[in-house]
Amino acid sequence: MTGERMTGNRASSAPLLQVKDAAVHFGGVKAVDGLSIELTEGKIFGILGPNGSGKSTLLAAITRFVDLTAGEILLDGEEYHTLPAARVARRGVARTFQTVRLLPGLTVEENIRLGADRVGGRGGADGVREAIERTGLKGLERHRPGELSYGVQRRVEIARAIVARPRLLLLDEPTAGMNQSERQEVSALMRELQKEGLTQLIVEHDVQMMVDTCDHLFAMNFGKLIAQGDPAGVVREPAVREAYLGKRWSQHV
Amino acid sequence: MLQDLINALSLGSIYLLFALGMSLVWGTIGILNFAHGAIFMFAAFASYVIVEQVRLPMLALIVIGALVGAALSVAVQVLAFQPILQRAKDLRSGEMQILIGGIGVAAIPLAVAEEETGSNPFGFSASSYATKTYALLGFRITNTQILVVAAALLIAVAVIAWLRMSRSGLALRSLGVDPETASLMGVNRRVLGLGSMAVAGALAGFAGVMLTYHLGAITPDSGDTLLIKAFAAVILGGVGSMAGVVVGSYVLALAETIVLTQTSGLWVDAVSFGVIFAVLLFKSEGLFGRKEVRRT
Amino acid sequence: MTAWYDSNIILIQSTFVGLLTALSLQVPIRFGVFSFAGVGCYGIGAYTTAIIVIRLGWPAPLAMGAGMLLAAVTGYLLALVLSRLGGLYLGMATIAFDLIVTVVVANGGELTGGPSGLFGAISDVGTVHVALTSLVVVVLLALSERGRFGRRVEAVREDPELAAAMGVEVRHYRQLAFVISALLGACAGGFNVLLRTTIAPTDIGFSLVTLALTMIIVGGSRSWAGAFIGAVIFTWLPSVLEFSGQWQKVIYGVIVALAAIWVPGGLLGVITDAYRSWQRSRRAGGSSDVGPGDGDRGTVSPRAEGTPA
Ligand SMILES: Nc1ncnc2c1ncn2[C@@H]1O[C@H](COP(=O)(O)OP(=O)(O)O)[C@@H](O)[C@H]1O
Ligand SMILES: [Mg+2]
Repeated sequence: MTGERMTGNRASSAPLLQVKDAAVHFGGVKAVDGLSIELTEGKIFGILGPNGSGKSTLLAAITRFVDLTAGEILLDGEEYHTLPAARVARRGVARTFQTVRLLPGLTVEENIRLGADRVGGRGGADGVREAIERTGLKGLERHRPGELSYGVQRRVEIARAIVARPRLLLLDEPTAGMNQSERQEVSALMRELQKEGLTQLIVEHDVQMMVDTCDHLFAMNFGKLIAQGDPAGVVREPAVREAYLGKRWSQHV
Repeated sequence: MLQDLINALSLGSIYLLFALGMSLVWGTIGILNFAHGAIFMFAAFASYVIVEQVRLPMLALIVIGALVGAALSVAVQVLAFQPILQRAKDLRSGEMQILIGGIGVAAIPLAVAEEETGSNPFGFSASSYATKTYALLGFRITNTQILVVAAALLIAVAVIAWLRMSRSGLALRSLGVDPETASLMGVNRRVLGLGSMAVAGALAGFAGVMLTYHLGAITPDSGDTLLIKAFAAVILGGVGSMAGVVVGSYVLALAETIVLTQTSGLWVDAVSFGVIFAVLLFKSEGLFGRKEVRRT
Repeated sequence: MTAWYDSNIILIQSTFVGLLTALSLQVPIRFGVFSFAGVGCYGIGAYTTAIIVIRLGWPAPLAMGAGMLLAAVTGYLLALVLSRLGGLYLGMATIAFDLIVTVVVANGGELTGGPSGLFGAISDVGTVHVALTSLVVVVLLALSERGRFGRRVEAVREDPELAAAMGVEVRHYRQLAFVISALLGACAGGFNVLLRTTIAPTDIGFSLVTLALTMIIVGGSRSWAGAFIGAVIFTWLPSVLEFSGQWQKVIYGVIVALAAIWVPGGLLGVITDAYRSWQRSRRAGGSSDVGPGDGDRGTVSPRAEGTPA
């Protein structure tokens, strides 16, 4: 936790994010139950898992929306699971939400600006324009979220998350409610951001898209990690098929 | 000393009658009804208007007060709270609008009563009921005090028994614990909401008539003060706990009586405010309440 | 004009005091903090100012400054003490605080004049001072509703968790709301006592909460302009309603109830909505510069796909 240790860890190129034996319990519900993952810089990571397996809770723990019951989370090798959520955000951890959370009273542009505010500075205006263009929201800046379709609202969320140029981007089911071409656009955007060095962790049910987009997959069930590794390999693992893909996806992949 | 206890007991009984309905509604359908005080006062006022025309016994006035209270309470639910809840975008903003709406609605009966009485105290001197004072072993007690205490305890026991044992009581309690599951299990929120508001209004009306008999006269704005005191009693006992309200009401009344006898009377009102502060800060679930009262 | 001004000077001054009082309740609401402590701070400001002017003979600005300082400190302490409370509980706790102030000043003996209050807080404070102060306050608040700060306040109110995810220290904003509210309340109280020269416990009771709240409900809670509309209406309405004679208060109550139930955004909300839908229809009629994937304008239910969190 001292400055020395911090730089020491950076020099030895520790992973960007480490989750060690993390557990989050809500009363008797073990939403996350002794889980360890590592995210190395510049890669796209994906999480697969059935509903209720603790994916959103894991993202909430990483962004400090919920407290860990046990374990620790380190960013750049530095422990941060005691910081308030706002500080974590200012360290460059950005996220989107499973259910869209836009401010209804602000326009699309203002909603995105809210994300840019955290970096402050005047360079913000360019960043906002860029984020709007990259997410295909040009022309919709003055609309309010209530006037837009769900897929478009999701893109506003993504724009708001990337506008501050985070170091780690967490996306919770970013393409839910989108049509096929929109999904492809989001997938393309994710790879483009990766080229710029952005590390990403994506929760998504679209297995094909995850296999195509991610460098590394985690599979979760009952709050535990049941498999990880090369995407094509992970989705072929029997435990994963049984837990998640089962009947629905086995012919698909 | 014993005299103080008797006074505390009758004061606590008035608080209890008033707070029971408030707590019932708050603990089950989650509405903190700020118009409860106005309903209480207006029921007494309506009885007063009638008794000025026709000389009636106490029982008739109690029935009138309870009916007027129930009717007003249902009207508030239908005309104000239901529309607000239907239009509110989430629970949090709904909660605030309910509070504000209640304050707004309460202004109407208050204005009517103040207009008619010129903000002066009104009482049931025209009623055929006469207060008698009994002197026993050196302390004094009135027949009204005996009635108030007996009625409050009986009604509290009846309400608790109803909630614990009857089907509708159980359904109502399930609403307070988990509204979503309760709706899924076929509990009709709307009907139960109206029912509990009607019961709460009747209790408020009853309390209004009894307090007027007890004090001889009340002013139109007495509902506001009582509202804060009842709030203190409810959270002291714990929101959602009926037994808690009983204890909260009597503890508050006892504390006030002690303050009244030990200091100049003006500090009495500080007791309930102090209780509200202390409970919210140090034991926000109250003495008997469920844990998750605190909401940030 | 001068004749009109002379005969309505009390109402004009009351409008500004009302505006400041309403703002002291509105600012926290705008921050998503359901606090009525501004009214208690009105009492603190009014009494402190009066005591200092009467007993110490300090100049009015210093006395008011002292009152505002005391109120601001109290507001900050309240914010710390009540930090864990939200919603109804915070509302009721702050109402209790307001009433405690009333009880304390009623029991303050010679210092506060007890139940009959204080008289003779004479100064040269006049309409100009309260008007200019209100103007400065309104300009500052209008600025706070715009730009980066305005967006953050919006986020803190609508979705505190989201605000935190945007790097906003929600706790600090909540504390700020308490302090601003306290300053505004104390400022209103100070002006009122200097303009009227008297203050009594009944002036700062529950009815003041109701009055200030009424102004915001009917005017609108989202912007200073709503408080202004409300302050004008409820300061002048009683004299306009004179013709309806004895039922004035009832009509007043009906207006408040109707506004609270059916127009939660207040008059200002009605005006903004009308303006926005006019803007939208203009946009729809004009250039149809619509981005990809915006085929339908209807809102799809957020639960259409995806799973509940
Ligand atoms: N705030 C909470 N309180 C209680 N239980 C929760 C809370 N959030 C999530 N859970 C429970 O934790 C489990 C995991 O939920 P979640 O992380 O949302 O799963 P996923 O995103 O994988 O669908 C579920 O059983 C859910 O009901
Ligand atoms: Mg999820």
